This record gives sequence, structure tokens and C-alpha cells, in this order.
Amino acid sequence: MSKPKQGSVRERGDTISQEKVIEIKNLTKMYGNHVGVKDLNLSVYRGEIMGFLGPNGAGKTTTIRSCLALIAKTAGEITIFGLDSHRDSVAIRKKTGYLPGDFGLIPSVKVRFYLKYLLSLSGCDSTKKMVSLAERLQLDLDRKTNELSKGNKLKVGIVQSLMAGEDLIILDEPSGLDPLMQQEYYRILHEEKKRGKTIFMSSHNLAEVESVCDRVAIIRNGQLVVVEDIRVLQEKTGKVLEVEFRDTVNIDEFKFEGVGGIRQDNGRLVLTIHENLDSVIKAVSNHQILNMNLKTYSLEQLFLKYYAGGETDERGGA
Amino acid sequence: MMFGRIAFMELKTGWKGLLIFGLLVLVISAGIPLIFPTYRDSLIEELEGASKVHLELPVQQGGMITLSWEPVDTATGYMVLEDNRSSMVTPKLKYMGNETSISFEKDFEEKRYYAVMAVSDETSEPFLIGITATEKDEDPFQELLKNPAYAGFTGGRNISMLEVKGFVALEYYGWSWILTGLFIAYLSVSLIASDFENKRMDVMFSAPISRRRYLLEKFTAMSFIALFIVLIQIAGLISGLASINALNEFSANAVLLSLIGSLPFLMVIAAVGIATAVLFQKVRTGMGITFAFVFAEFFLYTFGGFSKSLEWMKTISIFKYWDYFSVIIDDLFKGGDFLILIVLAIALVITAIRVFQKKDIPT
Repeated sequence: MSKPKQGSVRERGDTISQEKVIEIKNLTKMYGNHVGVKDLNLSVYRGEIMGFLGPNGAGKTTTIRSCLALIAKTAGEITIFGLDSHRDSVAIRKKTGYLPGDFGLIPSVKVRFYLKYLLSLSGCDSTKKMVSLAERLQLDLDRKTNELSKGNKLKVGIVQSLMAGEDLIILDEPSGLDPLMQQEYYRILHEEKKRGKTIFMSSHNLAEVESVCDRVAIIRNGQLVVVEDIRVLQEKTGKVLEVEFRDTVNIDEFKFEGVGGIRQDNGRLVLTIHENLDSVIKAVSNHQILNMNLKTYSLEQLFLKYYAGGETDERGGA
Repeated sequence: MMFGRIAFMELKTGWKGLLIFGLLVLVISAGIPLIFPTYRDSLIEELEGASKVHLELPVQQGGMITLSWEPVDTATGYMVLEDNRSSMVTPKLKYMGNETSISFEKDFEEKRYYAVMAVSDETSEPFLIGITATEKDEDPFQELLKNPAYAGFTGGRNISMLEVKGFVALEYYGWSWILTGLFIAYLSVSLIASDFENKRMDVMFSAPISRRRYLLEKFTAMSFIALFIVLIQIAGLISGLASINALNEFSANAVLLSLIGSLPFLMVIAAVGIATAVLFQKVRTGMGITFAFVFAEFFLYTFGGFSKSLEWMKTISIFKYWDYFSVIIDDLFKGGDFLILIVLAIALVITAIRVFQKKDIPT
């Protein structure tokens, strides 16, 4: 089981503190005999945007809904703002905004009325913020809730989750807006982060996670596979070079820093380049080349590898 | 954060349906007393039919009974049925022929009833001339009410349908629970189960609202709705009684107290609805169970009136604790019964809260 990398968090000390806003310890949730989440450990630090990735049914929503005490835990402990997630749930929710993955609105009322009602339940007076969020997301507050399109309904949920969460915002798969609105939404999330809010968001969208999140946790079959700084993950991406030479070459010629996975079979050389692409190409050009192929190994491919379980063993297993 | 916002929201979003239902209740409550004068007149006419049949009893045991009746012009013959029940559901044919008088030996002890019918060629069905009995201390309707099948409706009291009190008690109070009780059952279940079904719970509980507060607010909303319906019933019934000038017989005060007595009765139904909604989280299941509860309670009460040995059934029926007859007929408001139902409603709501606190909210 991977532990969150303290080191990588410290390296990004510019915005992220070491204060744990969410601390999940050994969380297990069983649905009868079916495992929802098993022995999950995860910490989210103040001021970071933590992405929570995983295939359908991996346990993302279960984890999030356990944090909000919407479901009971089978075992383990969740602490939010230093408070017990279930015993002190009301106090936690006072400072937390939440966008559920799937939700319904009260029908036949104006969006403004609906949102004001939710604000009144939260006990906070952020009508101004509600109005400005709606403006930025181009949400008409005077429409009736039952007349909204899917995208507009999502906007209502987004406004609702952002207007009330003073300290923590939990988002369960917040994508689904048109690309322009989605960009505006990411900008809002960054602004909220700059104001010191912590954001914990689950997602399917790898591009979204890459552009928005500071760190990412990947979950598969109810178990955490990896927690990593997004920059560290980006470093793991690179280019895979395959070269076919006329003659056999000495592989030591290509051992530069940032180059790994070097192997040779039947005159074909394969290596993965993270850095020093220039040096590798120059070394290759010293020989007569029959064929060459350069492939990019993207973050998406890395994620897919985690999804499929390929990286689990390498990282110490689950 | 102020308590009451969720309850208020329910009233705010549901007022249209409530208003339409309220109007319906108003029309029914005001309309029933209006029927009474016509009903009474037709009942009197029917009772007078008994005077068309004459029964002469023997002075001593073993003597002869003489039964005679007024001839009917169109009749081609007459039929006399004998039964020991006023309902005449197990009759024996005593006589068939053209005479308008028969005599027979009194060789029995118990009360017997005789129905005299005219047979005519013009109408294929024989029609009733009148019913008479060997003991004439009560009118036939009161006899009917002694039948166990009906005693459940009256709580074993002597009710006269010739009085506005008896008529309204039996024809309005005796059935109004179907209207109000089932409406409350439906509403209380759907108020909570529809939040589950329409996935509104996650948003609701992302606000700093405890599950206890949520259920208490829903119960508060239901109590206000029940009060609203009861007040409409009171207004309707009083105006109906006033328009037939019957308020001196059935006072506004009695209407008020007897219907206020149904408030805790409705609150228990609301609490059962809330508890089943929390348990099953589906409108259909919750409503089926809550409706079944109301009907089961009603049957327990009526079966409890069938015989002394079944009387325990009454004590576990909520219908026993809304004793409108006591207010209407005996002028007595049973405060103890009122409290028992309120305590029961609160206990059910507390149970529902406990269950809800342990339950997962489904996605």
C-alpha cells in the first residue's frame, strides 16, 4: 500500500501546507459480501487540489460519501478538520461544500430560491458569492429547476458546492460542462485554492486531473494503488525509442541520465527517454540506422497502466 | 440554521396539492350534513312501513300469534319470511298465499322477526310491505346496529340515525379516516421516500443538518398539514350543520373537540409513514405498508367489537383512541386517549430517527 509521499508535498511548499484536512485511516466499507473500499489510507492537505482517480466501481464515491457520513463505515477512521467524520459530521459539513456524483433538485422552484434555501440550511449568508458564481458559469438564476438541461443542472450543483464550502470542497466527478465553461470552472477552482480552500475531487477525466490537481490518488477494486504528486507522475512519462542498426552496438553508449529500460534484441535497441533526448539522438547518429520509431509514453498511458494494475507490484503492491 | 426551514419548504412547495385536497375535504365535510334531512325523512317513511304490518301476541305461552297486513292493490299474493335476526339474512318462508292475515302457534321463546312482502305480476321482484318483531322495544335500525358486523362502527353505543349526531357520526366520522388518514399516510411516506428516490438526500446532508433534525422537521410539516386538514373538516362540518340549523343538536364545540381528537390519530399515521419511508426508502413500498397498517388497525377495531373475547384487539388499534362517539354522544373528551396517541407518535418518530442514523443513504 502506497503511503502519501510527504517529500513531494514539502517540495511544493509554496502553496501546500502540511496540515491534514482529511485523514483517512484504514477505511473499509463492505456492502454485504461486496467490498466497497478496503483498508484505504489517504491524506489531503490544506490548500491542495487532490484528484481521486479510478475506474467505475473502484470505490471513489464510497470513499467520498464515507467522509460526509452519508454511509456508515465498516472499519477505520476518518478525520476531517481534526474532527471525527461521523460523530462530528454536522460541524464538518458546516465548513464543507459537496457536489454529489448524482443528485436531484427540488422541482418547480426558481434556481435562486433553491440555492438560497440551501444557503439558509448551511447558515451562511453568501448570496453575493452565489450570484457571482452563477454569472461566471452563465447560470440563469430565474429559471425553474425542472426546466434545466443536464449541463445547467450540473451548474446548479457546482454553485451549491462552491458557495457554502468555507474550507473544504469535495467534488464527485464534476465534469460534464461544455469545454469553455469547464475552463472557467477550473479557473474558479484555482482561485478557491489560492484563497486557502482544500479541494478533493474524484474524476474520470485524465486531462482534467492533469490540468487541475496538485496530487492524485488512484484507486482500483477498493484499494489505493498510488498517491503521487502530479509532477512526479509527469516525470515518469517519456518517449520510447526503438532503433534498428546495421551492426550490433554497445548499449553502454546510450546510458545517459534520464534514460532507462535499455535493452537490445536482434540488432534492435529499445530505450525509454525521460531526459537528455538530444544526447541519445546524437549517440544514435554515430551508427548506421536501418529503421527508427519514437513513441510518446503519456500520462494517460501511465494512468491506464495503474488502472489495469500494471504498476502495482513495482510500487510495493497493495 | 433556524429550525423549521425544511418543514416550511415542504409547505411552500406542496401548497397547491394541499389546497386542492383541502377544498375536497371542505366540500365533503359541509356536504354530508346537508344530506341528513332527506335521509331522515326516508328513514321515517321506512319505519312507518312497520305500521302497515300488525302483530297480535298471545296473552299466555303456547297461544296463537296473529299477523295481519294492509292489502296492496297490485299484489297477486303475499309472502311472509321469518327470522330471528333483524338483518333477515337467514329467513324461513312462513307463508305464501292470497290472505292478508295468518295465525300460528307461538312455540318459541326468543325474539322473532317477520317480513311481509307483496308478490306482483307487474314487478317480478316481491317488494317489502313491512317488518315487525315479537318484541317491539327498538326501531329496526337500532336492532341492526346490535349485529356484531355493525357494532364495530359504533363502539357498541346506541346510535339513532334519526338524530343528526348519529347520522354524522356513522356516515362522516366512520369513513373520514379513509380520506384523511390515507392522505396523511401517502404524504408522510412520499415526503421522505421521494427525497431518496429523487436523489436529494446527498445535497440535503451536505448541509449541516443532522438526520434527527431532518426527520423532526418532516414530522413537524406533517403535523401542520394534519392540523390544516382537521381545521378544514371542522369548518366544513360546522357550516354544514349550521345550514341545516342543527347546531343546537350537534354543537360546534362537539365538532371541534371530536375532530381535534383525530389529530394525534393522524400524527401516528404520519409517524408510521415516516418510519417506513426511512426503512424502505421507496415511495411504493412505504405507501403499501402504511396503507396496510391503517387498514389493519381499522379491522382490529371492528373485529374487536364482534365479541367480548376479541375485545383485546381494540386496545391495540389506534381507532380505539380516537373515540369521537364519546364526545358526540356522551359529551366526554378523553384526554388520556389523546395523550396515548401523541406518546405513540413521538415514540415512532424517535425509532425512525434511530434507524435513520444507522442507515446508509443509497446512491
